[in-house]
Parts: sequence; structure tokens; C-alpha cells
Amino acid sequence: MFLTMKVAFRNISRQKKRSFLLAGAIAFGMLAITLMNALTGGAVVNIRDNFSHALGGHVFITGREWTDAGQMIMKIRPDVNLDRLLEDNASQIEAFTKRSQAMPSLIFGSQQTMHIVYGVDFAEEDKLLDSLVVTEGSLDELGANDDVIILPQPVGERLGVEVGETILIRLETLTGQQNVDEVKVAAFIKDQEELGLSAAYTSRSYLNTLLGMDPHEYQILNMFVTDLDLVDGFAKTFREGLRTSEEEGEKDDEPEVTVTVAGVPMDPMTEPEEITRWEGTRYQVMNINQIMEAVELIVGVLNQVGLVIFLILLVVTMVGITNTFRMMMIERTKEIGTMRAFGMHQKQVKRIFLWEAVFLGLLGCLAGLVLSGLIALVVGSISLNADPSLQFFLNNGKITFRLPIGSVILNTSLVVFTSLLAAYWPARAAAKMSPMKALSSHT
Amino acid sequence: MAIVELENVKKVYTLGKAEVHAVRGVSFSIEKGDFASIVGPSGSGKSTILNLIGCIDQPTEGVVSINGTRTEGLKDKALTTLRHETLGFIFQSFNLIPVLNVYENIEFPLLLGKNRPGKKGIKEWIEFLVEAVGLADHMHHKSNELSGGQRQRVAIARALATKPEIVLADEPTANLDSKTGQSIIELMKKMNSELNTTFIFSTHDRTIMEIADHVIELLDGLIVEDSKRSVEAGSIS
Repeated sequence: MFLTMKVAFRNISRQKKRSFLLAGAIAFGMLAITLMNALTGGAVVNIRDNFSHALGGHVFITGREWTDAGQMIMKIRPDVNLDRLLEDNASQIEAFTKRSQAMPSLIFGSQQTMHIVYGVDFAEEDKLLDSLVVTEGSLDELGANDDVIILPQPVGERLGVEVGETILIRLETLTGQQNVDEVKVAAFIKDQEELGLSAAYTSRSYLNTLLGMDPHEYQILNMFVTDLDLVDGFAKTFREGLRTSEEEGEKDDEPEVTVTVAGVPMDPMTEPEEITRWEGTRYQVMNINQIMEAVELIVGVLNQVGLVIFLILLVVTMVGITNTFRMMMIERTKEIGTMRAFGMHQKQVKRIFLWEAVFLGLLGCLAGLVLSGLIALVVGSISLNADPSLQFFLNNGKITFRLPIGSVILNTSLVVFTSLLAAYWPARAAAKMSPMKALSSHT
Repeated sequence: MAIVELENVKKVYTLGKAEVHAVRGVSFSIEKGDFASIVGPSGSGKSTILNLIGCIDQPTEGVVSINGTRTEGLKDKALTTLRHETLGFIFQSFNLIPVLNVYENIEFPLLLGKNRPGKKGIKEWIEFLVEAVGLADHMHHKSNELSGGQRQRVAIARALATKPEIVLADEPTANLDSKTGQSIIELMKKMNSELNTTFIFSTHDRTIMEIADHVIELLDGLIVEDSKRSVEAGSIS
């Protein structure tokens, strides 16, 4: 085995130009698929991170209850059970935030627009404040005053309002009454409006007042977990822990995220005829993976397309490898005869050619990976001033490359397999060659 | 004891629709330790007979026995093993493996078999052979860094690497000048005497032929003379 490997390895450097071209063709294919995988891999991570920042967590708990008047409202009251769960799982929680939300009309002069507004406790929303890109104004005023709002830049432009001016906010309270107030624009921020994640922010206590809730109440509990890989299990713990005895046996599955309001995962409302009223609060637990499923589906399709292109490139390269190996076989006829005369078995001759194919494939893969790494390094260091929609795929304006080791192994295996396949017939022909004919050859 | 025996061996090649009778029925035997020469003009069947003895070709008719083993009907695997264990080859155009250096070329046949000696044993034996063929200073040179004579010396060492019973040399001096050719034949003779290895070589060079103690002369695929002599005594039987 070692002898055939040694001869094969030395043979690679025999015709340097030819080996370079063959390995180069393989490297090009590897480069293309690696960059594609790394780009989509990085984009998934960035989208997840950006989603987490925009939604304020990895796991989202909403509460619903019925009012005496027969309305179902979104509200989480102080709950011993929920507090106990938070305490029991504290080691897995990096941070949590409590938010309220509304879809009010924002009015300035004759202009008006509806937009999602989150009521947040700015003192506990470090991650949010870090992720916001302020285009005008400042976030300094947030702690001092409650009745201020941060608007996405496009919303401010639609309203024609300037930072420091006051707009009207009109909404329905949880119980359906109209409420109007004045709120000062503290800053404009960049957003991802095209992806439905555009949101304005104000203080939770202020928004609660407008919604008719107590200041310590909230509508969504968002949690950042310490280990994203465990997020499904973590969410399940809360889902099961918050299930009431009435809910037992109703449905066991994770709720499907088919509706999002400004990027907030919402379980589709049950058909009215199926609604049966309940006492107290019922919780719904979502996690970031449920939202990411659609993104990962798209990424999966992209990777599949990339794989098909890669396979086409490999087939083309395979034809080249087969031809080259046939040429090599003819060039080395006398050498094959000599080796056979000295007692090299047919399978050993075949192995020399196959090892050469493996080495060429691995060399091509290695070159492709190194080139991809260099390109990723250069491209990843450039800050892009892209559209807000593109920013969503980026990490602080930079393209991120993340290559799963599994795809490297898969692609390398594919390359080695196709190289072996391409070299198999010439290798077999070389092995089957009669030693006498090979030795009497003039090549 | 005959180490090589040919009984009424014929070899017919088909070239298109024509049949070429390269060997027309030859019988002879070569004893262990012989320094045998197969001579004759081009096309007389020298190389064909060497190929048959070397188990890289099979006769159309007749029996070839190598070290007591009849080669007819043997499969490729058995023939390959027989070649590896019993035979060594020296070629007219040296046929060194270009990607290997002198040491590795000589080591090459040793690494092919299953029962190979230990690493230390291999090293000592190769160093002995390299020394014996006078290439101790060229151990790590590639074949393209050697002269024709040096390459043929490497080929001789390689042929002896597995300590074969028989070494076959097809026109070993044809690509060398006469002085180098003479020294190569002398080296082969020296190895023949020291290691008691049977050497069978083909040539059409009269001067080289004279050093052989067994001369088989061919013409048109038939033996015209099979003579044995004691070289020291100079007598021919």
C-alpha cells in the first residue's frame, strides 16, 4: 500500500503543469461550492442573530386571557409559576426582556401611518440598544423621559417629522377604547422594513399606560438563551411548565408560526367557532428556530442549487481527468510493464492510478478551501453600505462566512469519489495490460 | 539441476491476418548458476524466448519450466508471484522508474512481495548491492541524473534485489558503448560467480558472447547451436 502511495504521490509532480491544471479545475469547483455554503451558512447565523436582536430574544412567551366583557387580550400578569420556571432555568438564560406592543396610528400634521411599536424597558435592553443603528438624534434621552419614541428612518420620512418634534400616537386600549397622546421623536434608526421587521420603540410603562395596562404588566416575555443549540428543549420546558390542566390533552405539538406581525411570531388565531373561553392566562411559547425554518428552507434550496452546479463542474472535470489518465497510462506503458515484470500485481498497478486520483482530488480540495478562506477573509473585512434589506443578512455591515464541517467533508468526499470514478477505467486498463506488450511498447 | 527447461516450445504471433512464427519448436535447459547467452540476429526469437522464460508471455505450444514449475495454465496472479520470487530483469533501455531515486529503484521489487525482510535488513542489502555495482555515491540520484552505464548498474542491482534464482537480461549492452558494455557484462559475471545467480542474457555482440559458459544460438526461431563450456578452461562441449 505504501509503495503504491509513494509512487502515485511522486507521479503527481511528474507533469507539474498537467497536475496543476487538473487540480486547478477541481479547486475551482470546490471554491465555488465552499463560498456558496460558507455564505449561506454565515447568512443563516446573521439572520438568526438579527432576528434575535430585532425580536429581543430567542424564546418568546405571550399570554392571553379573557376579559369579563368577553374579549381576548394579550397580557402577562405576575405569575408565580412563570417566575419559578425563570428561576429554575436561570442558568440557561443569558438575559430576558419584558415587552408590550401595539399597532398605533402615528400622526404628524396631515400625514399618518400605522406602525408596530414596542414598549421596552430600556434599562434592561442592552442588546437592543447595541443593535440599533441611529441615523439621526440620540438615545441618551430614553432613560430620562418616558414619552419619547424611536422611529425607523423611513417612517419618519413618511410622516415628514424631524427629530425633537412631537407626533400624535393613536391606538386602541386592550379593551377597545380609543386613546390618543403626544410623544416626542428622540431618534431615527435604520431598520429592515422590507423584511417586515420595522419597529418603533418607546418605554414599556408609557405604552402600558396607553394600552390600559399596569406599568408592571407586559405582553411578551423574550429570553436570550446561553446555548442556541438547546433552544428547542428550553422552549419545550417552558411550554410544558406553563400548560394549564385544562390545556392538557388539547394539543401537544409546537405551535406553527404561520403569521408574523412585524416579525413577531404569532400563532394563527383559532377559528371563532372553536374558541372556548378559559379562566386565567394561557401561554404560547415560540422560539427562534421556528421562525428560522423558512429561512433555512430557502438556504437549503440555495445549497442544493449550489451542489447541482458543483456536480456539473465535477462531471466536466471528470471527463478531463479520464482523458488525462488515459494519456498517462499510454505514457507510462513501459513503466507499467517493468513494474509488472518485477512482480507488481494488477491490483497494485490499479492502485497507483487510483491513489493519484485521490491525491489530485485532495490537492484540488485543499487549494479550493485555502482560496475560499482567503477570499472570505478579504470580503469579510469589507464594510458594505448596503440597503437595509441586505443589512439583515450581514453582521454589522460585513458579510460573514461560516462553513459547516459537514459540508466540507461531503464536498471533499464527492470530489474524491468522482476523481476515483474518472480514473477507474484508465487504471483498470493499465492493470489489465499484458506485461509483454507493455514492455515492447515504444512509449 | 536444470533451473530453466524448454520442451518443444513454439510461439506464434498474429499480426492482422498474418501469422508470425517467432519460435518454431525449441528445447533446451539451463543449469543453476549458468551464465547463459542467447545469441542470434534480429528476429531470430531471442527476446521471445526471454519473455517466455520471464513468464511475461506464454508459449503457443510446448512446456516452459522455471525452477521446477510448469508455467502453462498459470493465472496472472501465480505468474506474477513466480516472477517476483524467482526472476530478476535487466532491460536494454534500463527501464528505471523515473520518480524513484537509485536506492528506491533497487528497493522497489523488495517492497512488492508479502514476505519482505525488515527495514534494517532491506537497507543493509541495498547498500551492499549499491556498493557492489559501484554507485555508493549516487544513492539518492534520480535516473535522469545518471549516465547510461550507471543506469544499467542500477538495473543490475535492482534485478538482484529479491535474490532471484534467475536474472534475465535482454540485450543489456545494446544501448551502451562497447567499453561500458564490457564492464556491465563483467559486473553481471561477477554477480553470477559471487551470488551463484543464473544469468540468461540475449545479445548479438560476439565479444560479450564469449564470456558466457552456455551459448544458445538461434536462427529464424530455431536453435542452431547449444554449447556449454568451461570459460576458465576455454573448452567447449
